[in-house]
Amino acid sequence: MLEIKNLHVKLADEDRVIINGLNLTVNAGEVHAIMGPNGSGKSTLSYVLSGREGYEVTEGSVTYKGEDLLAMTPSQRASKGVFLAFQYPIEIPGVATMQFLKVALNSQRKARGEKEMTTPDFMRYVKERAAKLNIGPDMLKRPVNVGFSGGEKKRAEILQMAVLEPHLCVLDETDSGLDIDALRVVADGVNSLRSVDRAMIVITHYQRLLDYIVPDKVHVLSKGQIVKSGDKSLALELEANGYAEFTGAAA
Amino acid sequence: MIPKTPAEMVFGFALPHRKMEDWRWTDLRQLIDKPYPPRQKILAAAMDVERLIKSSPFAKIAGQRMVFINGHLSTDHSHLNRESVETRISFDEPVVQMNQSFVTDGAHLKITGNSDTPIELLFISTKADARTIASRNVIEVAQGAAATIIETHMGEGAYLANSVTEIRLGVSARLDRIKVELESEDAIHLSHTHVTLAKNAVLNDFTLTSGAKVNRQNGTIEFQGENIDAKVSGAFMLCGKQHADTRLVIDHQQPHCTSRELFKCVMDDRARGIFQGKVMVRKNAQKTDGKQSSHALLLSETAEFDAKPELEIFADDVVCGHGATAGDLNHDHLFYLMSRGIPEPEAKSLLIAAFVGEAFDVIENEAIKEALVKFSNKWLTRRRSED
Repeated sequence: MLEIKNLHVKLADEDRVIINGLNLTVNAGEVHAIMGPNGSGKSTLSYVLSGREGYEVTEGSVTYKGEDLLAMTPSQRASKGVFLAFQYPIEIPGVATMQFLKVALNSQRKARGEKEMTTPDFMRYVKERAAKLNIGPDMLKRPVNVGFSGGEKKRAEILQMAVLEPHLCVLDETDSGLDIDALRVVADGVNSLRSVDRAMIVITHYQRLLDYIVPDKVHVLSKGQIVKSGDKSLALELEANGYAEFTGAAA
Repeated sequence: MIPKTPAEMVFGFALPHRKMEDWRWTDLRQLIDKPYPPRQKILAAAMDVERLIKSSPFAKIAGQRMVFINGHLSTDHSHLNRESVETRISFDEPVVQMNQSFVTDGAHLKITGNSDTPIELLFISTKADARTIASRNVIEVAQGAAATIIETHMGEGAYLANSVTEIRLGVSARLDRIKVELESEDAIHLSHTHVTLAKNAVLNDFTLTSGAKVNRQNGTIEFQGENIDAKVSGAFMLCGKQHADTRLVIDHQQPHCTSRELFKCVMDDRARGIFQGKVMVRKNAQKTDGKQSSHALLLSETAEFDAKPELEIFADDVVCGHGATAGDLNHDHLFYLMSRGIPEPEAKSLLIAAFVGEAFDVIENEAIKEALVKFSNKWLTRRRSED
């Protein structure tokens, strides 16, 4: 599904290199966890995959379902099934959550040449998914993420994922700022979306999230490179020993 | 001695210019680009009239209507008659002075009842030679009465519309006023609104400014009693080379009153918006709670916004504040919407609509609000197709 080859990324208006020869292959149905210390390039990777401005790819390629992902606009990537759950979801005053979801879903359907969903069908479709994440109609009426608590924001991200049904989900530190109950709700939401034709990249700092969303593969990112890959036991090892081994080795 | 402009020669008086503090951004000597002779008799084609009446955003909402065609009441198109209400303002202000010289007609209304049905005052100018059309409206809302009044200005061709409106609210009266300026793109719109509010009065005032090549709107609101609550909002949606200048004076004369001003201004292309807002709190007006804010969204490098907030406070126990901002669309917001599959032009429209929409919130009538949302979406669609 996703193949990243020798990816080099720097900040657009600075010389600082953030990703430095990264290779990663993710197949449909797999869940990959990317772990690493602060500043290792985890969030940058998520932004480069979703097409945020401010980053420049100087070398390498990202192929998504056989196409050059880097040549697409952010909205094209989304329509083709790429979804980023933000570490810090953005508040958008004046745009109601329900309206936002509808415009997003129908924009994607239009881009794919599918029929747009009617309002009554859409309401039913969203309410079903919202209920599973403990999101009431009240929250759907409020402007996107405005005044949401940390937990509400993360649940709203997962709701968007459930509504848009992407093929490649990138979860950027979805566990940050969540207490244990909220974490469970979010993880259940994510797990219910696991399927054989959907891949996930779970970016996290801590092993804790991986108790709930059990990965097929775990990678350690340090200084913009994947320095070690393994199965879920690698996450436990990192939890016990920290990242010192990798940051030291790469220095 | 400065030579007279062609317009000044026709008018017979001097026009305000940039050396006058209140007119520094809107030099009418330059902006009134040709003579606009007043009091012209114009025969409007029935077809033009019908088309314009139908194109009002409120065509389906207004319960009762007064239609003025080229400065004269058309009884055929109106449900309401002119009543006799005295006009009281006559002060030394250029727009009012011009109006006093050239006025032909206007809506005079005395509201005594309490009705939810909106009244629309529709001023249309049909395509004809350039001329000045001046109307004078007087609206009195009696003690305890309430009304919703829409004032719509539309037209085709080149003309100068001068509109002066006096509004008087009695004790515990309430007025929801919505003014929509959608004049022709070759028109000049000059207006002056003078409002006096008595004890316990409630005013919700909203102005949409989106037509005319030159727009100057003056407003003065006098708080003459205690416990008055006034919300004054406005939205600019300007493009091309449009120029709109709003000067608003909030005059707190009595204690325990609240005023809220919110202006959301969108400028594209080379458009220029100006907001000059003055809040005056007189010595007697203790416990005044007054807030003013104006925010501009500049959609192009060449668009411009000028804000001149002024606070003049003579009372010592008040809460007053003002704020003004100007900027372009927030890139994080835009990326977030695009990352969910919304293409850039639609994502921008969504954010612009959300920005101006905040100013619509002062309007409590849902149908009117919806009509304005529809208008702003139409404006945004047209903008997208021109990009």
